[in-house]
Amino acid sequence: MLRIYVWLFVAFLYAPIAIITLFSFHASPSLTFPFEGFSLRWYSQIFANPTFVDSLRNSLIVGASTAVITTILGSLTALGLARLKGRVQTMFGLLAFGPVALPGLFLGIALVMLFAQISLQRSLVTVTIAHVLFTLPFFIEAVRSRIEYFDLSLEEAARDLGATPLQTFRLVTLPIIGPTIGGAAILSFALSFDEFIITVFVSGNDTTLPLMIWSMMRRAVSPDINAASVLSLAMSIGLILIGGLLVWYQRRLALSARAKDTEA
Amino acid sequence: MSTSKIVELYGVSKAFGALTVLHDIDLAIQEGEILTLLGPSGCGKTTLMRIIAGFEATTHGRVIIKGANVSNLPPDRRPVNMVFQRYALFPHLDVFDNVAFGLRLKKWPKAKIQEAVQHMLHLVQLGDYGNRWIHELSGGQAQRVALARALVNSPSVLLLDEPLAALDLKIRHHMLAELKRIHRETGTTFIYVTHDQDEATILSDRIVLMNRGRIEQIGTPEDMYAKPRSLFCARFLGETNILSGSVRSSESGVTYVDVGPGTMKVMTNGTALSAGQNVSLAIRPEALRVARKAEFPGGADDHNALEGTVEEVVFMGSRVVYSIRTPIETIKYQETSTMGHAMLTQGDEVRATWRPEAAVLLTH
Repeated sequence: MLRIYVWLFVAFLYAPIAIITLFSFHASPSLTFPFEGFSLRWYSQIFANPTFVDSLRNSLIVGASTAVITTILGSLTALGLARLKGRVQTMFGLLAFGPVALPGLFLGIALVMLFAQISLQRSLVTVTIAHVLFTLPFFIEAVRSRIEYFDLSLEEAARDLGATPLQTFRLVTLPIIGPTIGGAAILSFALSFDEFIITVFVSGNDTTLPLMIWSMMRRAVSPDINAASVLSLAMSIGLILIGGLLVWYQRRLALSARAKDTEA
Repeated sequence: MSTSKIVELYGVSKAFGALTVLHDIDLAIQEGEILTLLGPSGCGKTTLMRIIAGFEATTHGRVIIKGANVSNLPPDRRPVNMVFQRYALFPHLDVFDNVAFGLRLKKWPKAKIQEAVQHMLHLVQLGDYGNRWIHELSGGQAQRVALARALVNSPSVLLLDEPLAALDLKIRHHMLAELKRIHRETGTTFIYVTHDQDEATILSDRIVLMNRGRIEQIGTPEDMYAKPRSLFCARFLGETNILSGSVRSSESGVTYVDVGPGTMKVMTNGTALSAGQNVSLAIRPEALRVARKAEFPGGADDHNALEGTVEEVVFMGSRVVYSIRTPIETIKYQETSTMGHAMLTQGDEVRATWRPEAAVLLTH
């Protein structure tokens, strides 16, 4: 029974992904079975579409900028939060996480009004600002538990062993919380890459990938949408793999350096 | 043991806001000794150690290490190293890198680091553990790594902040013996913080007993046990019976104290006591002699005596502890358990006596 349940559960989670991936390689424009053979035509078609390429590039730019800005602001906030005490910490923690509860619709309208007030033209810049605002609470929440759990006596131990404050950060604090921050940065990128509702409000003439796919959908259900979706899925999986590989590679590097030292 | 002072504290006070946790502490630590800061939680012992390490600034006063005033130096520039209560080992480094941390910061050449770390790991009996990750270690092993990581830097003073608190009893006793051995082999001065009087008495050359931010008494464990200078000290180190009373007369080293049923004789050295002054007598449970009234050797002698009833008998393996209810206090009596010996039983009417030198007179 349990085994059947597990398989149903897996099917429920992954069947849509499998189907969309399969049909993105379909030789015919038909979106139904029977399957008539593999082809890359939808991929070449979508890459030949300048609107798609532009919006993909825009999404990459916005995602990367968002990830960088969010990581800097979010890490500083989380490090600061961990050093606050008692009710002040609870209050700032709630304030930092609060925006998650705001509906995207509300955030979008509020931002449009704000940008109008300060007469900021809607562009990729406003999209990035909006995305930072949107991803920041998730980032802080993702790293906070790790940073709060971070034993401050580790920093004291480093100081005690002769490390300056800067060396302590570089040799102890950063390596310990680094993987968490890296993971949260990837999460920020993925959230930004996916974001739709707020982006609808704050984008100017430059469109992002989700906006572009949505506008394609409105015209016709075309198989090259499958290709576009699979590409953005591959993008997300790729990022996670890269993150994992980085951590693994660093560890291996450290171990082989040790082996060399021992031989010497 | 050399007698030069390695750490000197002069008038050290510490306040956190309105709360003063250390009052005007003067203390000198001798090179090579194991000195324990002992006291209940909140007595200021940990703060005092953190002030020596440089993690807390003094509100007033000076900290001198090896003749140099370090009061304003950060922890990384003080010649001391610390073993933290929960070890504080770096989880992203393995055992070797943890121990090598301090030496790498000092830019030692690789070969020398390799040698020093291996030597230190052997000293703490973890010679083959260099490549282990921290999370693979047991509590006792982690504690040894923490020791090695601190000692490899050859600190002038090793600070240990309740290093055994997180270990279970068996390992704790083993680690105490290990600490003594490591102290012998390195000759490093140890300052050891604990609230556990057993750890303090087993380990220390000298104990500094602290209470409410002040030093209550300093002395060897034997001294502190035999000659407590205050009620607090008498109660904190080991079991003790306290009888309160008032001075009847006091002259030439002999004082008579009225306590309920009788007048007790106690030896005092010179301290002037006025008649009627409230005092306490402290008598260790093992300093009493107790026998059933019927079997009592008898005869009027110099002995101080209390009569009572055995209320409780607790067998503790090598010793037996009795609670005896007397007209004034319920007192504890302890004797070595002898196999097959007819011990006292509950309900026995007994007589407890002690020699005048066995009691300590306390005025506060």
